[in-house]
Amino acid sequence: MIFSLRYRSLALSLSALLLCPLAAHSQKYQGRELVEARLLADVAAVAPGQPFTAGLLLEMVPGWHTYWQFPGDAGIPTEINWQLPPGWKAGPIQWPVPLKLDEPGDIQIYGYHDEVLLLVSLTPPLKIAGASVHLAAQADWLVCEKICIPGGAKVQLDLPVGAPATPANTELFAKYQERLPRSLPESGGAALHWDRQPNELKLTILDRSLARSSSLDFFPLPEAPTITGHPRRSQAKDGSVVFTIPVESAPPGLQSLGGLLVAEDLAFSLGKEALTATPKTASDGLLKLLLFGFIGGFILNLMPCVLPVISLKIFGFIQHAGDSRGRIFGNGLAFTAGIFAWFIGLALLMVGLKSAGHEITWAFQFTNPYFVVAMSAVVLVFALNLFGVFEITLPAAATTGLLGWSAREGYAGSFFQGVFATVLATPCTAPYLGTALGFAFAQSAGIILLMFVAIAAGMGAPYLLLSAQPAWLRFVPRPGPWMVRVKQFMGFLLLATLLFLLWVIGVARGIDAAIWVSAFLLALSIGCWLFGSFSTPAASGKQRGIVLGLVLVLVLSSGLYCIGQKFRASKIASSLTMEGWIPFSPERVQNELAQGHSVFVDFTAAWCITCKFNEASVLESAAVKSAFARYGIVKMKADWTNADPVVTKTLKQFDRVGVPLYVLYPATAPNQPIVLPELLTQALVLNHLQSAAPKVAASP
Amino acid sequence: MKTKLLLLTLTTLCTGALGAAEAPKVGAPAPNFSLPAADGKTHSLGDFKGKYVVLEWFNPGCPFVQKHYKSDNMQTLQKEFTAKGVAWLTIDSSAPGTQGNLTAEEAKKQMSELKMGSTALLLDPDGKVGHEYHATNTPHMFVVDPAGKLIYEGAIDSNASYDPADIKGSTNYVKAALEESMAGKPVANAETKAYGCSIKYAH
Repeated sequence: MIFSLRYRSLALSLSALLLCPLAAHSQKYQGRELVEARLLADVAAVAPGQPFTAGLLLEMVPGWHTYWQFPGDAGIPTEINWQLPPGWKAGPIQWPVPLKLDEPGDIQIYGYHDEVLLLVSLTPPLKIAGASVHLAAQADWLVCEKICIPGGAKVQLDLPVGAPATPANTELFAKYQERLPRSLPESGGAALHWDRQPNELKLTILDRSLARSSSLDFFPLPEAPTITGHPRRSQAKDGSVVFTIPVESAPPGLQSLGGLLVAEDLAFSLGKEALTATPKTASDGLLKLLLFGFIGGFILNLMPCVLPVISLKIFGFIQHAGDSRGRIFGNGLAFTAGIFAWFIGLALLMVGLKSAGHEITWAFQFTNPYFVVAMSAVVLVFALNLFGVFEITLPAAATTGLLGWSAREGYAGSFFQGVFATVLATPCTAPYLGTALGFAFAQSAGIILLMFVAIAAGMGAPYLLLSAQPAWLRFVPRPGPWMVRVKQFMGFLLLATLLFLLWVIGVARGIDAAIWVSAFLLALSIGCWLFGSFSTPAASGKQRGIVLGLVLVLVLSSGLYCIGQKFRASKIASSLTMEGWIPFSPERVQNELAQGHSVFVDFTAAWCITCKFNEASVLESAAVKSAFARYGIVKMKADWTNADPVVTKTLKQFDRVGVPLYVLYPATAPNQPIVLPELLTQALVLNHLQSAAPKVAASP
Repeated sequence: MKTKLLLLTLTTLCTGALGAAEAPKVGAPAPNFSLPAADGKTHSLGDFKGKYVVLEWFNPGCPFVQKHYKSDNMQTLQKEFTAKGVAWLTIDSSAPGTQGNLTAEEAKKQMSELKMGSTALLLDPDGKVGHEYHATNTPHMFVVDPAGKLIYEGAIDSNASYDPADIKGSTNYVKAALEESMAGKPVANAETKAYGCSIKYAH
């Protein structure tokens, strides 16, 4: 396309210079001059090396229009081909905000009526020979009313050389300078949001002041080969305005369009079309982020909520220390495969949901109460198994002396342990991982998948390494009867995890909900006990069948009643401690900032352990608390326990898909919020608070 | 006349409301239609099943159309492909009283004056077929394969200008789509932005 455009320019100028009949000075239609073209400058004299603005003034007869840089469904933009003396440079055309014109048959075009001044910045060379300069350009346009007529003119301007440059045509140039779109203010990125769906792009205008403008419109600037349909405007319930732009054809990875956001008397330029990954940054940025993903995955192993499973796994390695090397490595592989399976499954689910248009965020499973209930049930069943209430082949049957375990079952066990470890790991957004995932979620399906594979690789690496180098297990005690005790103790660790899960449910849904879930868990325990006691390998087939049926009836009926009815009816309530904290809302932040107060926002959730850790050890510590009070910084808490959509949106604005997130809005620079790391230290927070403190308050 | 206006308004409203969802997509079946031709016969898209069909939106007054007719570019293309068994339907959707609206008589004259090589010049003065295809420009090109599937939609070539001098050196997308498809290859540029004058539909 670039080639063809260049060719066209060349062809146009050639034909204009030589013999083209289209390049006439005047353009008469039924005896009328349709367009008058003139070349003007905002200076009366040019100074060497000093840029100034030239303008192509097109005056159309009433009813006729010329086109904007994106003409819409039909027409072509006006072109200016400069014929400047050597050493001169011409910038691109700066297009004033056009009118949107509707033609019969749902045809939309963008153009100018009556008069338009197309501005171009011209830069003379540092030395100009002679007392005056001759500037010329071939201008070509299409002018249409009901019919279209091409026109063109060679426009020229002679200017004396003088220093310094003296202004000219100030009124006209000022009028059209005013009509140029402004670039979006610094903080403007947060005021809008692009969302790519299979056949359309959605542009959400979050900024209330813009969204309130009833005439707010979006003029797209698609770049070939992107083809878009007419933007449709709709109002969301929360007051934001959404433009839906059908995408008829686009390069892969198109994430946003360039264009103008046009309100009553001002317009903002939204920059250029953005693709997910331009080749250069992709290889570089992606590799770095994949590395972050790998490191993040590795760190997941050290997170509090995975700890019990790690112990479980290390215990597993001890168990395998007596096996053959090949078998140990096989188990390591199976375990890693489990990790990969979960992450890839999760990635596919994300990709699926993302394309279905849902708001997907990291740890989103933990904001789904039924997921937490299911997790509780799984954790309890594992714990009971470790206690020896019942025996199945998972996860440590070998320790009970069942030596007839087949290798295949062993690998299956390791595989599921890998899955299990990972299920527990996901809500802990380790440092790095947040950034990496924030990046990944705005990406194409392929990159999301890659990102998750990197995390899986990071998490699985230590296990694979240990199983490949079992010699390192030498430092681990030999197996023996103590293992049974260790196994039982592990059961208690799992019960502690269960306590945490129940607390999550209690915080989100209230005490009743937690009790009803516990009731279901009790029934489940009885089921496990029945199964373990009466459905032993020694029992007859008939007895085993009856027991199994009984267990199923018990679990299903209690599940239906406790979870399906009672739990379902429970109200959503979050009871994070709010003492000293104000509930977060974007408006409240703006209000406080407007009053000159710095604001600190803690994005947290009842189920987020990293958040709890930061709150207990740093944010609620005496030193930090008194610093907040001393500097008069307003503390807000954004509760994401139930995936509040407003909080989700704000998280997204910071490119995050999960909590924790800590943001400090200094009153001195409200548009430059500071994002703190995910793992806080007192020194770090105190430093930041001091920097955000009003300068007067810093004196003792 | 009143009913016709009402009907048109309704059509416009419907196409407007349903937007892009209604537009035939490349890869999807091309909607069937029947239109009277300059020679008085009625042609349906369905009549040409088993053949490639090119649809070309036409307005003899439009400088972009003139670019391709005065240079003989369009006629050459029409003759080249009709000789290969392609059906070439030129469609005029200009409403009565607007530029390019033709009576059957005038259409016949245009065909011989311009030495058109089309299979037929079809008249669509109420814009029904134009709306159905979401045709916006003259020229606006569509290519339908023998199975009745739309395989190309958009501009005639890669150079959005009204200067006949630009034809040499531009890629003709219609020619490329036909040749690629006939060779059993996928169409590389299956959707481009059509350029030209707006089609002069009725209000």
